[in-house]
Amino acid sequence: MKDLKHIRFFEKLLESANNELVRQAKEEGRTAVGYSCYYVPEVLLNCGNAFSVRLSAPNTGSLDISQYYMTSFICGYVRALFERAFEGGFNFLDFYASSDTCQQMVRVVENLHELELVDNPRFDHGIIDAPLKISPHGMKLYTEQIRLRFIKPLEEKFGVDFSDASVREAVALHNELCGVFEELCELRKADNPVISPREFHIISIVSYVCPTYLILPYLKDTLRELKEREPDAVNPWRARVVVVGSELDDYAFSEILENNRCYVAADRYCFGTFPGRQRIILNDEEDAFTQVCRNYLETNQCPRFMSPEKIRERKEYVMALVKEYRADGIIYEQAKFCDFWGYERMLNTQIMREEYGVPTIGIDREYVVRGSGQLATRVQAFVESLEIKKIQEGGKGK
Amino acid sequence: MKNMGKNMLPKTGIYRFREWRGLVDSAYDYAMWCRLWYKLIRWAVSHPVQNVKALFRYRWMFTYLTVPSFFDRCCEGFKGAALRAGRNNFMCLTDCVIDYLDTLFSADMELHPGSRKAMELNKRIICMDELVPAILTAGFPEAKSLLYQMIPVYLPSLINQHSTTHYISESELRGLPADVCPLPSFEAGVAIDDDYPKVGCCMLTCNMPCDGSIMTTAVQDRRHGLPTHPVNVPLRWLQDEVQDYAVEELLSAIRFLEEQTGMSYDWDKLREACENWNEEQKLKFEKWEFNRTKYPPHTGSSAWMYRIFEHQVVCVSPVALANDRKVNKILEKEVRKGNCKKDIRYRAVIWNTPSNNYANFNNWILNAWGIESVIEMIDIHGTELIDTSTRESMLLGVANMIQTSTMRAHTKGGYEVMVGDLWRRFDEFNCDFVILFDQISCKGVGAINGLFEESARKRGVKLCKVRQDLMEPTSISRRDMRADVNTFMSTVINAEPLDPTLIEFDDDESW
Repeated sequence: MKDLKHIRFFEKLLESANNELVRQAKEEGRTAVGYSCYYVPEVLLNCGNAFSVRLSAPNTGSLDISQYYMTSFICGYVRALFERAFEGGFNFLDFYASSDTCQQMVRVVENLHELELVDNPRFDHGIIDAPLKISPHGMKLYTEQIRLRFIKPLEEKFGVDFSDASVREAVALHNELCGVFEELCELRKADNPVISPREFHIISIVSYVCPTYLILPYLKDTLRELKEREPDAVNPWRARVVVVGSELDDYAFSEILENNRCYVAADRYCFGTFPGRQRIILNDEEDAFTQVCRNYLETNQCPRFMSPEKIRERKEYVMALVKEYRADGIIYEQAKFCDFWGYERMLNTQIMREEYGVPTIGIDREYVVRGSGQLATRVQAFVESLEIKKIQEGGKGK
Repeated sequence: MKNMGKNMLPKTGIYRFREWRGLVDSAYDYAMWCRLWYKLIRWAVSHPVQNVKALFRYRWMFTYLTVPSFFDRCCEGFKGAALRAGRNNFMCLTDCVIDYLDTLFSADMELHPGSRKAMELNKRIICMDELVPAILTAGFPEAKSLLYQMIPVYLPSLINQHSTTHYISESELRGLPADVCPLPSFEAGVAIDDDYPKVGCCMLTCNMPCDGSIMTTAVQDRRHGLPTHPVNVPLRWLQDEVQDYAVEELLSAIRFLEEQTGMSYDWDKLREACENWNEEQKLKFEKWEFNRTKYPPHTGSSAWMYRIFEHQVVCVSPVALANDRKVNKILEKEVRKGNCKKDIRYRAVIWNTPSNNYANFNNWILNAWGIESVIEMIDIHGTELIDTSTRESMLLGVANMIQTSTMRAHTKGGYEVMVGDLWRRFDEFNCDFVILFDQISCKGVGAINGLFEESARKRGVKLCKVRQDLMEPTSISRRDMRADVNTFMSTVINAEPLDPTLIEFDDDESW
């Protein structure tokens, strides 16, 4: 297939956290709010003059400094964020909205604060305590924490407008973005889709790491282009999978799958589409802020939710994606040293295979996966096993 | 006793003959050892069939056969009040554990399949995660609460360093990464091996102390199959704003338990329990006061282990309170006399979770180098008294006690809780240096490693980092831990050992 018009531009945006569009927004006098977890409602960070940046550390190399400050047994994403902050890569941030949801992630912002790593006199941070189950009092805690730890400092220090109208406007913009993703996801349902896993992954990440209002026109343009794009004459895909797991902002992961002709039909990982790129439908009876918070709490698929119904729901959510996107198998990926996904991967690779009957593998990976031969070998083996299964069932492998 | 190392059997660290502590102390120690055996034998013969069945049904049960040796290890080098306090604490612990084992095995459907008596008993048993203090169920006087992992997991990990390895392997064989904390990995392994007794009518789980423990509940749920209610304990527990949520969570847990047991919550009984706990607390504060003096009498694993057990299991027990009173009298007498029967050269604060597979580490640093661990992180939790004046204040107090449970009091709540409290205690207890456990699989603490080092440097305080893996001796052995201390003492402090025979020895094959 022909290259997409903006794909090089998107790739370039992913080369630095302080990318061209972030710089543009900052030059327009907006407030840059970094975050790294789904518990932090992205929509609220795009209210008024604020814009959200899901934090990443592209082109991460040595992690020596973070290893000293955080030891070598800490998740690569966390260490990479710390290292990038140490190098001055997050000096553009005005605010870091963090959540005490993962004991490693929350230490990033604590280190940033204590060691004064962000060289920006305006810089501030907030950390919320978030519940691990859905309940009315849990919802109350969640909204109060967001109001107190994010909204209040952003309003008082940066003059961000969180009025009901402003929140609704941010939701409208978010929904517009989600509209694009809905259509992109539809394209992935085809037998021979016009969008490759690598392209989708890149588009997904740029939508998180760039100001929504600036990236949206490019995404719309790309969608138009994709709708007119002709697929390859021969369907190259040997298997379709749903990728489930922890934070993944290195699109080389999808590239490895693509090179093994494994199509990512749906992505249920942090920085992915499910959840995160679904519209938020607001009613007029209740204030928009509460509705947004509820949406993020209820749609959250983080493995830290420990109530039996949420544990069940997570598996059913993945199963629904398998069915809707006609996937042949599931890949559970876990960033090394991530406790939550370490357990989830162990349990669900077995449960999804044995109880739901879906071929599933579990893999662990570094934060940067580019050039990982081990990962490529495992994917290749899994694709082959899926093909063999198809052949045994009377289908045709490629 | 000097030259303690020469008295050890090769590779085991077990003594050829009992330690000589002087006539009076040796006689006391021997008498307490005999008393322990008497209690154990009396218990074993009280339900011979049930206990033998348990021994062959549960792999972890064999660990309890080595209890006398374990208590001996944890009292190594103790004399005078320290010996008496340690032995009394362990004796109290023995009584409580025996009672626990009786309930556990009498109700266990694995040992009594189809037994109506066991079924009836189970209707009154509430299982709880071991990190939820039993005070919560004090309002159900007719019910019996069992901390689910206490007997099969936590205590064996202290008693026998090798008790964990089989179960951790079971978890890792099924794909659990080897880098997760060994405690939840051990818990998951016991579930995978189906080695939890089948007891109880319902289960209260919780999100304590860490992310691994949150996740291991899903593995355990699949095994026990009991109606489960997760108690979410706030993480940023220093904030006033999260306290309402903490209380609501307790109320929702109580409602769940009322539904499951068919019993009504008795708030007067909770008040009684809180008052009992407050008395225990006051006596604990007094113990800390003793340790601030030049003659710290109540240190080491017999102190912190008892504290954990008291906080989690027997916080409502008058038996524990009576033991506290007795022990404090003994300690007070010695401190008043200014009679310290220890050779103390340095006072250290020990920070981070201790190594369960080397519970007598404190004894070793004292005997080998003269380092007295006058205070340690694991000993400091639940430091407030509960206001019993109203139901609301009582609930707030219990919520605070739970939020500051074992380990949780420091590993959650923000880095300032962990780092700030270290320096507060360092000053309060007049310490010379810090022994910081580098528990390699503890992610929350590992991620602030640099903050410890930077703050120690700023203060000009020497920091001895001791690697350990909580309860996994195959990754870091006791010998490795000792090597870290030896290196620090000889190169940084330039000290000579108190007992050179204890500097290098092999005890890998020991329990």
